[in-house]
Amino acid sequence: MQRRVIQRSLRGALFALIAGSCFLAGCKFQFGVGYNQGYQPDQPIAFSHELHVSQNQIQCQYCHSQVERSNHSNIPALSTCMNCHMVVKTDSPEIQKLREAYDAGRSIEWTKVHMLPEHVKFSHMAHVQKGVDCKTCHGEIEKMAKVYQYSDLSMGWCVNCHREPENKAPLNCSTCHH
Amino acid sequence: MSFDHSHHDHTEKKSPLPSAGPASPERAGDTRYWNSLEQWGQDPEFQKLAEAEFQSSPLREGASEEGWARREFLKLMGASLALSASGCIRRPVQKIVPYNKQPEEVVLGQASYYSSVYSDGLDVSGVLIRTREGRPLMVEGNKKFPTGHGVSARGHAHILSLYDPDRARTPLHNLQRMDKNDVSKNRTNRDTIAAKWDAADDAIVKQLNEGGVALLIPGFSSPTTNAVIGDFAQAFGAKIYGDESIPHDSLRAGQEAAYGGRQIPNLRVDRAKMIVSVDGDFLGTFHATNAASKQFADGRRDPKTMNRLVAFESTYSLTGANADIRVRIKPSQQLDVVMGLAHDLVVARRVSSFAGNADVAARLRPFAGAAAKLGVEQALWDRLVEDLAKLDGESLIVAGGSATETADGVSLQIAVNFLNSVLGNDGKTVDHARPLGLQSPDLGLADLIADINAGNVKTLILHGECNPVYASPLGAGFVEAMKKVKLVVSTADRNDETSIYADYVLPDNHVMEAWNDAQPVQGLFVLQQPTIRPMYDTRSFQLTLMSWAYLAEKGPKRLTENETYYDYLRAYWRSEIAPKVAGGKAFDDFWDETLQNGFAGTALEGAPSAPRAFRVNALAQVKPSAPVEGYQLVLYPTSMFAGGTLTNVSWLHELPDPVTKICWDNYVSVSLKTADKEKLKEGDIVELKVGDRSVKVPVHIQPGQHDEALALAIGYGRSRTGQVGNGIGVSAVPLMRVDGKRVIASGQAVSLKKTGKHVNLASVQSHHTMEGRKIVVEATLKEYLKNEGANNHQHHVWSMWSGHQYNGHKWAMVVDLNTCNGCGSCQVACQSENNIPVVGKRYILEGREMHWLRIDRYYVGSPENPEVVFQPVMCQQCDNAPCETVCPVLATVHSSEGLNDMVYNRCVGTRYCSNNCPYKVRRFNWFNYAKNIQKPLHLALNPDVTVRARGVMEKCTFCVHRIKEAKLQAKLEKRDLRDGDATTACEASCAAGAIVFGDLNDPNSRVAKAYKQQRAYALLEEFGAAPSVRYLTKIRNNGQDQRFQDGGHHGQSTTSKHEDKHS
Repeated sequence: MQRRVIQRSLRGALFALIAGSCFLAGCKFQFGVGYNQGYQPDQPIAFSHELHVSQNQIQCQYCHSQVERSNHSNIPALSTCMNCHMVVKTDSPEIQKLREAYDAGRSIEWTKVHMLPEHVKFSHMAHVQKGVDCKTCHGEIEKMAKVYQYSDLSMGWCVNCHREPENKAPLNCSTCHH
Repeated sequence: MSFDHSHHDHTEKKSPLPSAGPASPERAGDTRYWNSLEQWGQDPEFQKLAEAEFQSSPLREGASEEGWARREFLKLMGASLALSASGCIRRPVQKIVPYNKQPEEVVLGQASYYSSVYSDGLDVSGVLIRTREGRPLMVEGNKKFPTGHGVSARGHAHILSLYDPDRARTPLHNLQRMDKNDVSKNRTNRDTIAAKWDAADDAIVKQLNEGGVALLIPGFSSPTTNAVIGDFAQAFGAKIYGDESIPHDSLRAGQEAAYGGRQIPNLRVDRAKMIVSVDGDFLGTFHATNAASKQFADGRRDPKTMNRLVAFESTYSLTGANADIRVRIKPSQQLDVVMGLAHDLVVARRVSSFAGNADVAARLRPFAGAAAKLGVEQALWDRLVEDLAKLDGESLIVAGGSATETADGVSLQIAVNFLNSVLGNDGKTVDHARPLGLQSPDLGLADLIADINAGNVKTLILHGECNPVYASPLGAGFVEAMKKVKLVVSTADRNDETSIYADYVLPDNHVMEAWNDAQPVQGLFVLQQPTIRPMYDTRSFQLTLMSWAYLAEKGPKRLTENETYYDYLRAYWRSEIAPKVAGGKAFDDFWDETLQNGFAGTALEGAPSAPRAFRVNALAQVKPSAPVEGYQLVLYPTSMFAGGTLTNVSWLHELPDPVTKICWDNYVSVSLKTADKEKLKEGDIVELKVGDRSVKVPVHIQPGQHDEALALAIGYGRSRTGQVGNGIGVSAVPLMRVDGKRVIASGQAVSLKKTGKHVNLASVQSHHTMEGRKIVVEATLKEYLKNEGANNHQHHVWSMWSGHQYNGHKWAMVVDLNTCNGCGSCQVACQSENNIPVVGKRYILEGREMHWLRIDRYYVGSPENPEVVFQPVMCQQCDNAPCETVCPVLATVHSSEGLNDMVYNRCVGTRYCSNNCPYKVRRFNWFNYAKNIQKPLHLALNPDVTVRARGVMEKCTFCVHRIKEAKLQAKLEKRDLRDGDATTACEASCAAGAIVFGDLNDPNSRVAKAYKQQRAYALLEEFGAAPSVRYLTKIRNNGQDQRFQDGGHHGQSTTSKHEDKHS
């Protein structure tokens, strides 16, 4: 009888220990994961920036056409892809995926790589207008066969740049949070 | 350097307040201004509430409800534990789905604006609808629109009706029409099924071909819709009946009797130096309110030439609250006022050509001595008559709306027309040459019921805005009549009180989903442009009529040959409207230009027209009102709902009534004396009885109410409008009466009986009291003319801070109390722009309303007939902000442009900032309101503004995201920011133009100029918070020499002002 009580309390203690350590470990783990630097998800179509930018010398703005006048850098519409792929590489299975979706009036569900929380309002337009190079934040995207997150996109990382006097960037909280 | 300078230096005048009880304790501060009767009477309960920072807290609630708080606390803790555990999971993967073919005009993340129109049978205003990626987000005023650049609260709120979860999503077929005796029954699938358009159309056309077609429509301002209806009537031999949401029957009848013709003339408030309103709430619920608000404000912007508004009122309306002189009357005295003025002008002063007419004199004689009858001071009355006599064609007499729908409603309109003719106003301030575009059929609901009962109607088509079963005292008869009709079709967007009796409910598109047009006044045309594809399987009312004509192969060519209503609209504009206003332009150019500008034609141009001849024999039917014993009923629409098409919109329920400041309810307003006599307390439920009909409603004790008038708002007590509006308030329809074809709403004898029950009314008037400090400043026109800064007592400001440097912009705002009319549209605009949650009645009662911008309403003077001052209060963006210094986590900090930035993601919810804010403008999220937003209402959320979570403090930031957007736009166009580029939502919504926002560092900006006016003052300047908002003194054009006879803080003379300035 007494043994069973002890056993039960031991079991309880063990459970508490495991639960507790999971909880603690989870919270600690969070710090590393939060920023997602290096995040490189698979995409539904194996699109290569290396191929398009380095080899074929296509300008960033050809596809991301609204980056100069919008807060967001747009992922190109399928019709933009099809401008070339009507004739280019039509036999590739990847392009056929694209073609199929385009003809059916559907879209492609790309996986988002660079993600900011909802309370951060970043504007591509403001930075591009100012002459900030895409590479400053996105890294050597022309060498990426598969895009990954180059910078950690943490607030400290943003503010470091904004603090440089030569950038004359605003440091108000409401610059990004409103 | 005394902070506590002179608030106690004037002794209180003890005023005889009946319900205040014996010796009131001595009051601190200036108590001529008060928010509520409790405050006026120094109720100890009120003091306790006012002193508490928050009216409630979860823990304090626990004390009353045993154990509840503890359980709730554990539950909340449980939730946050679960939250912290799940926080360890890797972030969710998000998808980006690009367009297949990108529409040319869409720039992702950038707003597009489409010109359109908001029209609700009352107001027709040109608007811009802001959309993002094809989703309407916000309604804004069209700055170019000729009759007004603002939007009413309803105009802003109608975006929520687009996303209303209770809208019908398919056509519905009511298999059994609702049984009259079983209205409360829940409909099941067996009663109502989804229908197919084709099947419904076939069934309906078959029946239409048998003849006997009747169509019930509300009043339309749209010329093309009226054309479609005309064509349809021609095709099927249909008869058209009208059922306006706000009836204009007496107005039209009065016009017809006095001048011939049933058009409603346009009131030109801008041409009037003096406006006399007799229960004509032209700023809130009568006539074209948006246009009138602008014109009225324009006439007061420069106080030197300001107009004067005299209001005779039986309930405290928005118009009365803006009056320079307000006289309380009861409905049976409306005619006495107008005819009394006419008598004194025509008979006594021999004004106008009617003076020699013996017939007229005989008709006027019974109305002699009106001042005594009304209990108005004779001197005041004489001055009014004298002023009116002097103003040749520059005055305006207004009466109308539900409060004037008495047994003598038509007589009143004839009298008003007569008086306007006598004063030479006809053709000048009463513009009959360019009347309102609103048209309504001559036949009414009573005619329809008679025709059905005579067996002449086989098919009845109801327009969606008509809801007579709810809104009309003829409703019960209409239900009976509908049973005799073979086929009843409704185009309502839900199975509402009337549609439930229809066989088919074929939902109309929302106005944001459909093309249409409107004609606010004759000669001004507006296009309604869709901004979203129809969200559900709905079809526009016009196309529905066109489809039936097409299927039946009947009717004029344009009805059957145009494939869509858009085609019809273009064809109609090409043939009918372009020749009038296109000025010879090619049609396509004209069309594009109209869409670009938002309108075609003009509104206010042109010289006054010649007066019409008044038919003197019309006066024969104007006889003194029959005396009414006891109390008289006043039924009035509220300025939040007006015609009542938006009763399922939570923003409008949460918007407090401008004068009573009560939300989420209707109530009967009684005077203080009546409450005393009947031993009523605020919130006591009473039974109102007219004849054998009665309703039970709570009591609200309203200062300034006539002792014998009991006022109740219409438009409440809906049962089938949806989850938000169902069961809110009580329907006043049972108290209405039908006299022949006219509905008599007001002026009936009513009795009042206590029921012993009580409810709490959710009033925001006692929240955020400012404890009688220098808050609102007023002066009379005479004082102002002597000294522009009259009564604007400047304080010596001392600061322990060195101050901030603002090298770029310095944002600031000026609110003109003289033009602000307190309508509340800025409040809803702010709510729409900034994703402000709705909290509901329970939490309003606990003082947890979330409006970032509130409009304080102060009463001035005795509770018998006090005057009102409105003051919009938003975050004052202080330079030495008290909130910033106390935040332990730096969640609220000062920006380099003078804003108090609020960083939601940093806030931990200590609420110290709110505690330290002298203006009480910070709001705390007690709950996760955003989580409970029902789909698809979440589509109305503005993506530029963070949606706040529980436990976070929030407040106005001068729409910092809009400032940012304007700056980026200027940068994109490689130019400097111009004055007016950056606007706040409240500024853009204000029809009166009372709010000016801009950059103080730009000396030429409007705000910098307004700052320098001598009328400008800061709230609680003496505390040294250095706010960025300035208010301009309210000027009363009431003919008095001094605002307050006893001097004191507000009435301090100019000499003491200078003495007080320490140099």
